[in-house]
Amino acid sequence: MRRESFWRDAVALVALSVAAAAVSNLAAGPERKLRWVGSYAEAAPPPSSKEPPAAAASAAPAPAISPSAGDAGKAFPPHPDKPWLEISGDDVALLRDRGALILDARRSSVYRDGHIAGARSLSVWEADADDKVRGLFAEGRDQSAPVVVYCSGGECEDSHMLAEKLYRVGFDDVLVYKDGFPDWQRRNLPVAKGDAP
Amino acid sequence: MSGPLSSPWLTIRVQFVLAAVFVVAAVGKIADPPGFAHEIHNYALVPGVAVNAMAIALPWLELICGLALFVGLARRSAARILGVLLVVFVIALGINLARKRPVDCGCFGTSKVEKTTEERLRDMKWAIARDAGLLLLVGQVLGATRRDAGSGL
Repeated sequence: MRRESFWRDAVALVALSVAAAAVSNLAAGPERKLRWVGSYAEAAPPPSSKEPPAAAASAAPAPAISPSAGDAGKAFPPHPDKPWLEISGDDVALLRDRGALILDARRSSVYRDGHIAGARSLSVWEADADDKVRGLFAEGRDQSAPVVVYCSGGECEDSHMLAEKLYRVGFDDVLVYKDGFPDWQRRNLPVAKGDAP
Repeated sequence: MSGPLSSPWLTIRVQFVLAAVFVVAAVGKIADPPGFAHEIHNYALVPGVAVNAMAIALPWLELICGLALFVGLARRSAARILGVLLVVFVIALGINLARKRPVDCGCFGTSKVEKTTEERLRDMKWAIARDAGLLLLVGQVLGATRRDAGSGL
């Protein structure tokens, strides 16, 4: 049996792996492809806010009901000093009724299984995320209008990461639906399936 | 190493077990690189710019080394690389366990099962135990094949 040289063999194994990985990534579809250099913000706690704006809901659990008539005039002003603020399901339902842009930060395969009716898919983990974010910018949207982002609630950080990306291209009223899609389902609010919003 | 622990009969079987574990682990991750990138990011140990490169390349390294062990080609180098990966996995899980930061292991791809914090922390302990067991298997391969070692380490 031939005698092994660790370094020679190790370099060959690593080189072969990187080459195979590069080919695989090149051939992958949009849902599987990744950019080699990621651009993810580090997992960070919610931004501290000395005095939350009237629009932003507190972190307290929201009641499992639709928005009340008293919320109809609620404002969600821009917050250029903070990348995002957290809001409750009541606020999301209110914003949805007003036609606000809602973005689903979960994987597109999960989006297809069920999402907030009217929400657009913008998975922060897929290779076209930055292009889609820039696409929103290019649509000429009012960047001071509320944009709601959500993922799976709980420890899910995808919505916060997407909010960071949106903030970086100039959206200054990004609102994170803290409790995410599971909370929306619990409230029996409108859900859609498939690729269409 | 000498005696029954270094017998070719045992070594070939240990190689197959290691190969099977790493090939299965790699396939799950190769199938969904964005999901694996997400898992790596959740560990909060790798800089954001390096997450994707790691998610793309690491599963292939596991696959190639697993296959090398399976066919008995460059098996000492493959075993050492897998050993290093296992040590890194144990350290990464250990750090997050010490932080009490529950993460999905991501060892065999993306988990679709929702878990509680307690379940995740318990699974992390099991993953560390499993990786320690696999490290023993790597040690067996390296010990039993020492006479095959040439230049280098």
